[in-house]
Amino acid sequence: MILFNYIASFFLIVLGLYCIVVKYNLIKTVIGLSVMDYGVNLLIITIGFNPGGTAPIFTAGELTPASYFVDPIPQALTLTSIVIGACVTAMSLALVIKLEEQYGTTDTREIRRLRG
Amino acid sequence: MNMLSLQHFPIYSVMVLFLGAFLVVIFGRNKVLRHSIALLATCASMLFMMALIKPVMLDGEIIAYWMGSRVPAGGYAIGIAMEVDAMSLFFGVLISTAVFVACIYSIQYMSHDDNVPQYYTLFLMLAGGVMGMVLTGDLFNMFIMVEILTFAAVALTAFRNTVTGALEAAFKYLVVGSIGSTCILAGTIVLYAQMHTLNLAQLSALIPDHFTTATKLAFALLYIGFSTKAFLVPFHPLAADAHGAAPASISLIISGVLTKCGIYGIIRLTYFLFQSMNLGTTQFLLVFVGSVSMFVCVTMALAQHDFKRLLAFHSISQIGYVLTAVGLSTALGLSAGVYHAMNHTIFKGLLFLAAGAVLHETGTTDLGKLGGLSKKMPHTTVLFLIGAAAISGIPPFNGFASKWMIYQATYQKAVESGNIGFLLVTIVALVTSTLTLASFVKVTQSVFFGQLPKELEHVKEVPFGMRFAMGILAFLCIATGLFPEQVTRYLTEPAATAVFHVGAYINAAMGSGYAESAMLNPPLAAEPAFIESGIWSPVSWLCLLMIALLAITVVALSGKYDKVSLGDVSDTKYQLFYGGEANFASLVGSDDMFWGFKYNWRHYFSFMHELHSGVVNDYALWAVVALALAILYAFIVM
Amino acid sequence: MTLILEALRYLVYVLIFPGFLFCFLTGLLLCGIDRKLVARMQKRVGPPILQPFYDFFKLCGKETIIPAAASKTTFLLAPLVGLAALVVIQLFIPVFRFSAFSNVADIIVILYLLLIPALSVILGGAASGSPYAGVGLSREMVTILSCELPLVLVLLAVAKTVGQALGLGLCFSLTKIVEYQMEYGSLILKLSMLPAAAAFLLIIPGETGSHPFDAAEAETEICEGPLAEYSGAPLGVYKLSHAIKILTMTSLFVALFFGGVGRGLENLVMMLGVSGGLAGALIFLLEILVLFLFCVVLTFLCISVVHAVTARLRIEQLFKYYWTVVTGLALISLVLAWYGL
Repeated sequence: MILFNYIASFFLIVLGLYCIVVKYNLIKTVIGLSVMDYGVNLLIITIGFNPGGTAPIFTAGELTPASYFVDPIPQALTLTSIVIGACVTAMSLALVIKLEEQYGTTDTREIRRLRG
Repeated sequence: MNMLSLQHFPIYSVMVLFLGAFLVVIFGRNKVLRHSIALLATCASMLFMMALIKPVMLDGEIIAYWMGSRVPAGGYAIGIAMEVDAMSLFFGVLISTAVFVACIYSIQYMSHDDNVPQYYTLFLMLAGGVMGMVLTGDLFNMFIMVEILTFAAVALTAFRNTVTGALEAAFKYLVVGSIGSTCILAGTIVLYAQMHTLNLAQLSALIPDHFTTATKLAFALLYIGFSTKAFLVPFHPLAADAHGAAPASISLIISGVLTKCGIYGIIRLTYFLFQSMNLGTTQFLLVFVGSVSMFVCVTMALAQHDFKRLLAFHSISQIGYVLTAVGLSTALGLSAGVYHAMNHTIFKGLLFLAAGAVLHETGTTDLGKLGGLSKKMPHTTVLFLIGAAAISGIPPFNGFASKWMIYQATYQKAVESGNIGFLLVTIVALVTSTLTLASFVKVTQSVFFGQLPKELEHVKEVPFGMRFAMGILAFLCIATGLFPEQVTRYLTEPAATAVFHVGAYINAAMGSGYAESAMLNPPLAAEPAFIESGIWSPVSWLCLLMIALLAITVVALSGKYDKVSLGDVSDTKYQLFYGGEANFASLVGSDDMFWGFKYNWRHYFSFMHELHSGVVNDYALWAVVALALAILYAFIVM
Repeated sequence: MTLILEALRYLVYVLIFPGFLFCFLTGLLLCGIDRKLVARMQKRVGPPILQPFYDFFKLCGKETIIPAAASKTTFLLAPLVGLAALVVIQLFIPVFRFSAFSNVADIIVILYLLLIPALSVILGGAASGSPYAGVGLSREMVTILSCELPLVLVLLAVAKTVGQALGLGLCFSLTKIVEYQMEYGSLILKLSMLPAAAAFLLIIPGETGSHPFDAAEAETEICEGPLAEYSGAPLGVYKLSHAIKILTMTSLFVALFFGGVGRGLENLVMMLGVSGGLAGALIFLLEILVLFLFCVVLTFLCISVVHAVTARLRIEQLFKYYWTVVTGLALISLVLAWYGL
């Protein structure tokens, strides 16, 4: 079951990269970035998972060496990463809008005034 | 001052910048308040870093600071740490100084722009991100800071969104930069899965004994992640686009400071986390990428005809020098590498600010449209010439001092290891330096000398504030070039020594004795030997030059020295000479300045031109290929 | 008292020998000899050997015209700085056993210091604002690029050979290189150094900008390129710099490859049976004389003969020539030195 998660996250990352490399539409590039991000997020969550563990929520007295729970740190990391991913998406979409205004197209092959 | 307060200085110096960013959002409408907040924040940050020079650099202390005093318990680092050793501090001092100078420059440079409060917010966020990245002791924290700085840098690149290519550059930078950031995150998490800690010190203790396939993958991911931040080959087109389009003060930060973050990340990765620099394969990786960056970017720069874009390519070329020197894994190499990193920040900052000054007054950075500015902007010209001489490695400026150390380090390495490859690196480094000179001769001729176009008749010298910022950097260029011994003794050698004391770095964070108990082969704290085989004493040379110059001037002035102005000559046939051509532009455009050289290399140049297509998909593909190659390299060879 | 004497000694070094006065006399003399030799090879009578001196003083007496388009300060300062830098380089090149300043700069530094005079020509030309200067300085820069690579290789090969023999790994100090040759014989006698010496001989005309590698200052097509707008004393200074550069390059060659001759001179004086202070003075004088003779021979070989028998190369031919033939020679030498032959 957990192996499936790893495969899925790997698949998402590669899919995202594929999308960025192959698709010539700016919006699709942004989508590719997000998909790649989700893949990494899934990977992080998967790493913290312990089969059968409880949620890592304890009050001061409850925590004993015997408590069995999923690793809380990756979850915290994922939250941060999701926030950052959202920011990046927002920023890139803002750039896409401006680019569309300036160049009149969303085709990456046309947006290459800086080259050589 | 007691130790307790010094302990807090690193976090202070990061926090004042972020605090400044928020304050600018609130009070930014008022011009005076905005400028004073930004100046105060950057100045305070710099002073906090300066105050640490004595304890950290000279006394060799390592400051480990745990957020909320959550010190390690049971041999595990639970809290988030800031750890400042001499290497971190070296970059910290460098960055905070550069940021301060950029801030001074910004005040008048950005005076004609809209949305200046937002500019300062992003500027301070960028500065804070960079500072946080080099001072932190936590891998995930490093990722966060990298994201902050990438985000701010992208926004600032697109800040003047009416400039040609600004948005385009920002988008490309965002896409490839995000791929890089994602690589860092993935690498971090792979390491976490193996070691269950994110603390740099603890990771450094654990990884060398648990070097598995997964950690190799992490190495490749982190390496690619940091090299996107340093814009090493194959990520150099992004640097060219981003530096070229951003405002000059931001170009200074991106080229002088952001790239240093990448280099810092790579040093932490190879020397500390994996401690793999004793392996020939890691050395090969860094030296190879460094040399290729060095050479490819300088040739790319020769083909450019935009002032800032040209500088951007040079920037990566110089970063190539730094990486090459760092990759040698010798004491002299490291010292030379960080010295050059420092010098690069200074002279490249100066050059970008000079380019900004030209842009500010003339409104263009196209080399074809500029010319003859030395008569209109004499101070800027002199400052630019100092920077150009420094980057081209002309004695006695700072670029020469550090490049000279790099040549020695590579050649020493070649002789010691008997490996002819390092000899090739020495030659590439020497030739690159001359090509750099050629490129700056071109800029000098096409911007500051030559004929003044009609449209630029009205150009004036830039305001004092901008000249002052450039003056600081020019002074540093000369000072660090004239006193290489002092610079190496007080700044670069402590930083390089810190790299060889990994055990001390681990123990400072995790408690003394941790490295010895947790590691199978605790790193030996060998005192590195900085042996220089060359001789160069700039001060004596300068004295001799001055005496000779004085003597020659006296002789020259004692002779008959009539000056005749051209006013007496009315015959038009003399106009051909005496620089008096009215409508006769220079026959040599900036593009074919070095025709004799380019003609012989025409296939290479046209190939490179085709290769840098400007399509974001291509650059993303390069990133993916680089990642794949790095992973393969890590799996197969390391 | 000793301090004053010391200062006086250094002043003598800078101003008289091997500094300013020596450079001035020898450089212009070499230049005159070159002109005479070329003339004789072309069946002309040629100017008197002292002609460059007359030219120089005449130029100094002429008026200086500053073009309307020029940046005045750079235009006037560039030649002076270039000349001063050249004179200072001469101080670091040992005359057999005698070296004025042995711990200021070594060969790679000298390589970079040599860029300063070349840059002064470029900057001066750029500052004049003339289109001829524009063409000339671009060619001058390409010439520098061309010579730099083989020159670097030659110097690295020498550093490696001497360093290996002395057990230092590598040796960049010019004084040590000469001392080594005194002890173990000149480097020219080593098989591995022969291609390097040949490459250096080919570099000399390129570095000094003489025929056929004078595309940068081609009088017939671009009116002396960077110097097109110069007149009067600054032009004289440039001419002087050019003459001194011949001396610098040839004496560098002697120091690198013929350093062992100094030992022979010592033995010669010993055989004559002179001893004490007189012997020292005699050796010193002989050394200067021999150095001068070497310089004359090298000037004849690399500059006069080449000048008389060749036609000017185009700039891209020049570049190709240096980066293939000359670099190839230097590379052979470096590889041989690398494997200790």
